[in-house]
Amino acid sequence: MAGLSRRRFLQGIAGLGAGVLSGCGGVPLRSGGKAHVVVVGGGFGGATAAKYLRLLDANIQVTLIEPKAKYITCPGSNWLFAGLANLDQLTVDYQDLQDRYGVKLLVDRISSLDAAQRQLRLAGGQSVTYDRLIMSPGIDFRWDAMAGYDQAAAEQFPHAWQAGPQTLLLARQLQAMPDGGVVLIAVPADPYRCPPGPYERASMMAYWLKQHKPRSKILILDAKRSFSKQALFEAGWTKHYGYGTTNSLIEWLSLADNPLLQLDKQNRVLTSEFGDRFRGDVLNIIPPQTAAQIALQHGLADATGWCPVRPLTGQSLFDEFIHVIGDAAHYAPIPKSAFAANSEAKACALAVTSLINQTAIAEAHWLNTCYSLIAPDHGISVAGVYKLDAANAIAPVKGAGGVSARTDAQVAATEADYTRAVYRSLIADTFG
Amino acid sequence: MKRICYVSAALLASALNTMAYAEIDARAIAFNCRNCHAESSLDAKSSIPSLKSLSAQQIQQALLDFKYDKKPATLMPRLAKAYSDAELAAVAKFLSRN
Ligand SMILES: Cc1cc2nc3c(=O)[nH]c(=O)nc-3n(C[C@H](O)[C@H](O)[C@H](O)COP(=O)(O)OP(=O)(O)OC[C@H]3O[C@@H](n4cnc5c(N)ncnc54)[C@H](O)[C@@H]3O)c2cc1C
Repeated sequence: MAGLSRRRFLQGIAGLGAGVLSGCGGVPLRSGGKAHVVVVGGGFGGATAAKYLRLLDANIQVTLIEPKAKYITCPGSNWLFAGLANLDQLTVDYQDLQDRYGVKLLVDRISSLDAAQRQLRLAGGQSVTYDRLIMSPGIDFRWDAMAGYDQAAAEQFPHAWQAGPQTLLLARQLQAMPDGGVVLIAVPADPYRCPPGPYERASMMAYWLKQHKPRSKILILDAKRSFSKQALFEAGWTKHYGYGTTNSLIEWLSLADNPLLQLDKQNRVLTSEFGDRFRGDVLNIIPPQTAAQIALQHGLADATGWCPVRPLTGQSLFDEFIHVIGDAAHYAPIPKSAFAANSEAKACALAVTSLINQTAIAEAHWLNTCYSLIAPDHGISVAGVYKLDAANAIAPVKGAGGVSARTDAQVAATEADYTRAVYRSLIADTFG
Repeated sequence: MKRICYVSAALLASALNTMAYAEIDARAIAFNCRNCHAESSLDAKSSIPSLKSLSAQQIQQALLDFKYDKKPATLMPRLAKAYSDAELAAVAKFLSRN
């Protein structure tokens, strides 16, 4: 097989049936001359897709549509609770994408999508047509999951699951809490954005409380039976925060069979199905999630609330000219992370350039690496490498990936250093 | 039109699969290295080396050493094990040039 030349390979593919390659790619370009790819959402998926499309093929016009002129990264946002970062340090803009890569930026929000006409309408009134559309609009919250917890209640009991004012609000509440106070973190069932995020958050809060309000407690109320990097987190909590003792700063409780059903705002109490009541001084309620509204509104999601795609190209199962990547899309078993969104964007950009140029689509490779800080000098990681299996489903490559093998202080310190270095690299690769 | 496209896409996908991808597209793998190994020199003090200054031979040797547990590291052995030696060689070649 290795001896097959690229030309013969392409001929082989073409020989499988007339028009295999041109069937989709041969659709005339809307714009007549250069192909126009529109990317919706300037987060980790969208920004990476826009940049890599231009890197791969400068003949493709790329327009990125994002309502915020500046983007605040969720990665790193938990560090705020430990006093290790501020929002300014987590803020990026789209200048490099425009100046260095020639991406056209429209600071606006998509208000509607006419898939038949391949046309978008923006909140500002403008219309934009596309040859292919890449959507990376992120998540929305299910406000119907817990009685009493809606968008208005989130102003008082922040989810802080989209970085920005919500993160600051939660950090201020933690700082204002009396010593001996209780923080409740309510964690949803899978799948949700950033599986290890709630536990990194608890760690960073515990680090700060240990110094400033050591009699306090963080109670994690989890809709799951187990969680990402659990053994590593628990070992770290034991080492730094007295986990497992009566004085532990962190307690974890699985409510897998006894879900939280109600918020009593007045008394700051969460009540579960069996009538258990949890009172907190600070309530961080992370609701279950779905794909962003724009994806739901236009029928790109299925009953799960996420957008099903053909993994090789990221094409929506419901519209071949729309690709969905990042948290909004269903790429399981790849978790919903910024690293994964960046990796999905690259595979998608490669496929989109192939579809436009009518060349064979390369084998897709995806990667996820996720570092978490337990303390400033204690980092842990999990990695996954993914490929298509024989049934064309995404599958982890056997024998690869997994969590940090060693947990001694030296490795923990190295991984803490890498946590910060990888954050900076990921930002540079996505936005720079 | 739409129907035909879907059939073609499925055919293409299965064709690619059964042909076991005659040629390795190193980009599909190598782009993911940049998530951690920043291309730009902005982050000169990063403890994660930029790959630009290394030769293909140096990168390939390091990748094989990670894969076969001859060179200890926190993360790379977990990643390198996912790829064939030929893929690692192609990736090394691509990274040293780009
Ligand atoms: C606390 C926390 C910590 C995290 N830490 C990490 C980490 O350490 N490492 C990691 O890899 N991941 C981490 N993540 C996960 C990461 O933030 C997400 O997985 C990532 O942001 C997903 O990228 P995305 O492109 O899908 O969505 P987003 O980054 O959310 O981007 C979506 C963009 O689409 C825009 N948009 C939405 N609707 C429209 C519309 N109608 N028109 C135009 N634009 C629209 C939004 O404004 C937004 O900018 C963390 C998440 C949280 C909550």
